[in-house]
Amino acid sequence: MMTIEKVMAMLGEMKKGEKALIKSISGADRFVRRRLLDLGIAEGAEVCIKCVLPFGGPVMLESCGQCVGIRRREAFRIEVERV
Amino acid sequence: MDIALIGNPNTGKTSLFNNLTGSYEYVGNWSGVTVEKKVGILKNQRDQLIDLPGVYTLNPLSKDEGVVTIFFLNEPFDMLLNILDASQLRRNLHLTIQLLEFGAPIVIGLNMVDVAGNRGIKIDSRNLSACLGVPVVPVVARTGKGCDSLAEMISAEAGQPDIAFEVDYGPAVEKATAALKEKLAGRTKIPARWLAIQFLEGNQYVREFLLNFIGGSELNELLEFVETQLKTDGVKETLEQYMYRKRSEAIETVVARSMVRTEGAGTPLSEKIDRIATNKILGIPLFLLLMYLMFMLTFDWLGFPLSDALDAVITGPVTDWISAGLAAVGASEFINALILDGIVAGVGGVLVFVPQIFILFFFISLLEDSGYMARVALVMDRVMEAAGLNGKAFIPMMIGFGCNVPGIMAARTIETPKERLLTILLTPLMSCSARLPVYALFAGAFFAGDKALIVLSLYVLGIVVALILAKIFSITVLKGETSLFVIELPPYRVPQIQALWRSTWEKGKGFVKKAGTFIFAGSVLIWLLSYAGPGGLKVPMDDSYLAMIGGIFAPIFAPIGFGTWQAGASLLTGFLAKESIISTMNIIYFVPDEATLQGLLSQHFTPLAAYSFMVFILLYVPCLATAATIYKETGSRRWTAFSIGYALLIAYLLSFIVYQGGKLAGWA
Ligand SMILES: Nc1nc2c(ncn2[C@@H]2O[C@H](COP(=O)(O)OP(=O)(O)OP(=O)(O)O)[C@@H](O)[C@H]2O)c(=O)[nH]1
Ligand SMILES: [Mg+2]
Repeated sequence: MMTIEKVMAMLGEMKKGEKALIKSISGADRFVRRRLLDLGIAEGAEVCIKCVLPFGGPVMLESCGQCVGIRRREAFRIEVERV
Repeated sequence: MDIALIGNPNTGKTSLFNNLTGSYEYVGNWSGVTVEKKVGILKNQRDQLIDLPGVYTLNPLSKDEGVVTIFFLNEPFDMLLNILDASQLRRNLHLTIQLLEFGAPIVIGLNMVDVAGNRGIKIDSRNLSACLGVPVVPVVARTGKGCDSLAEMISAEAGQPDIAFEVDYGPAVEKATAALKEKLAGRTKIPARWLAIQFLEGNQYVREFLLNFIGGSELNELLEFVETQLKTDGVKETLEQYMYRKRSEAIETVVARSMVRTEGAGTPLSEKIDRIATNKILGIPLFLLLMYLMFMLTFDWLGFPLSDALDAVITGPVTDWISAGLAAVGASEFINALILDGIVAGVGGVLVFVPQIFILFFFISLLEDSGYMARVALVMDRVMEAAGLNGKAFIPMMIGFGCNVPGIMAARTIETPKERLLTILLTPLMSCSARLPVYALFAGAFFAGDKALIVLSLYVLGIVVALILAKIFSITVLKGETSLFVIELPPYRVPQIQALWRSTWEKGKGFVKKAGTFIFAGSVLIWLLSYAGPGGLKVPMDDSYLAMIGGIFAPIFAPIGFGTWQAGASLLTGFLAKESIISTMNIIYFVPDEATLQGLLSQHFTPLAAYSFMVFILLYVPCLATAATIYKETGSRRWTAFSIGYALLIAYLLSFIVYQGGKLAGWA
């Protein structure tokens, strides 16, 4: 149980270069969720944080060779599991 | 035969369209370049190819993605040409499956096989074809490789397909399909299964379509039936998620049979570039530096000397030849004056700036084709968010530096209606290439030492005013709606010289063409107005009709520093096209060359008034073509009038501040 506490996180907390598996995107805005699905970023997909822009700016994710930018606020509504 | 080109955004549909039809439609390396359907004739001279905006699914998220769904439901077509990005097969197949469910004849063009290859992805097109039951042709749309066999395949494939592929959505969905089929009782040609699947996934357009045949309560019952059925089967997801998962599972089996992964070669180039381009600290400075370089090359280092040289040619040898020619044919004094003082001065005065405009367009094309555009949107998002917009709004603005019309069209990719409207309204503040001649002339005359800096200040002013107004509008006239931002970042592509030149030419062509038609006709008219007056022909210019018309406006402009009839007349023509300002001035102050004109201008303007004039030109009214586009895109007379009204107001206000403030500071 203790270990689970440690690996679960929100996407928005992750740092540049870290990798994670998407656990749930149902907390994100409907529009963002649909777009992420369109781009193949669904539950179970592995993502890697490519960069985090300053002053609370967007984050850039990579999944299966596809890069996507989303706002930090939305990233904080996506549950992930660090790998 | 009508063939519709369908695929995910940025998969190379338009590149292929251009290749197959020999056209030069707009290609760029970001998602959402094509915003309108385009029709072309295939090289066999028989079939029509229809290029559509890219979509991820047929279930649209925003109104503008609905274009494709509406096309699907309402317009006749005989065949689908589905373009897949081989390097992103899984995600592309979601759309393909929806197309297959529709049951129309379909050919798949497997594009970007070169990119996939570089990433260590190999796709067996024969296996893919066998899995799906439709022909698959590998192509590289960028170079044209494979396009001939694709064209052949399209011509050969006309009959019904034998689609071997079907996703198993489970018994509940199949039961719903059967029920829907019964209710429709053959009243539409569109397959019931496709309608059922789209409806269950929440496609509003399909729901509305079904309402033509079936009552709303019956539809809701159908939906509830499937939802309860799934719940009893122990499905926890929403219906939409469930359908997505079922499709993904089916895709996995296809991919397993047709895709081979070998080791990709090291870190992709894109990733290396992005380490700097989207770097936390370097991102914005790098963008500004690139803008500065583009700017200096256009206005100072390269463009300026070229324009000067061209000016010398036009005012020197070209004018000499024309006057020699006129003398040889014994032209009357009137014709002589019309051609030399009207047309050569008016049109030539604009053509002089062709080199600078082409350099600017070259850089914009480079930006579009490389993939940097989407990065700029990402890097600028934080700033744009503060102004009540999102980073994607920066793309129309950048394009607007070339010409506001395509810039405003590009705003269609912005998903939220409020942000899109804001972008449409504010893009005209971006200093387009037609305003460039005015700056070049005035900055050269009054601020020769630091002309590039002065012009740069105007471009920056345009952006700053746009951002401030965005904020003001979004808390007053355009309240509400949360701002959203998801952007796809395509891999960088090394621009090809030929493609770059083509797209530079396609953009710059408009400028040259306008000079030859619109500006030409305008010059004739302006010259006539300056030649004739209440006192007859060949009056002194101050007594001409032009002076009378311009004089009406002169008093209004007096408080902002240029209360002359000359300024009034040129600003009036500037509404038709911004280049007209320069051609009008050239005719009014008719002088043999640019240098003399600059000397003459300094008698009519003080440097402060000149700057105020440039600020006014930057901001005042969108040109006629831009206003027409705003009307077309917003579909509202009110917003079009608003865009003209606020621009005039803000232009006057800022010029007033500049001029009166400057005078108080003792600069005049
Ligand atoms: N490497 C490579 N690049 C390609 C290929 N086909 C197209 N491109 C590039 O991909 C980018 C997108 O091409 P477009 O033809 O504009 O794509 P589209 O599908 O029409 O895009 P939207 O209109 O935005 O949906 C451009 O930069 C093309 O040069 C290909 O086969 N290989
Ligand atoms: Mg296109």
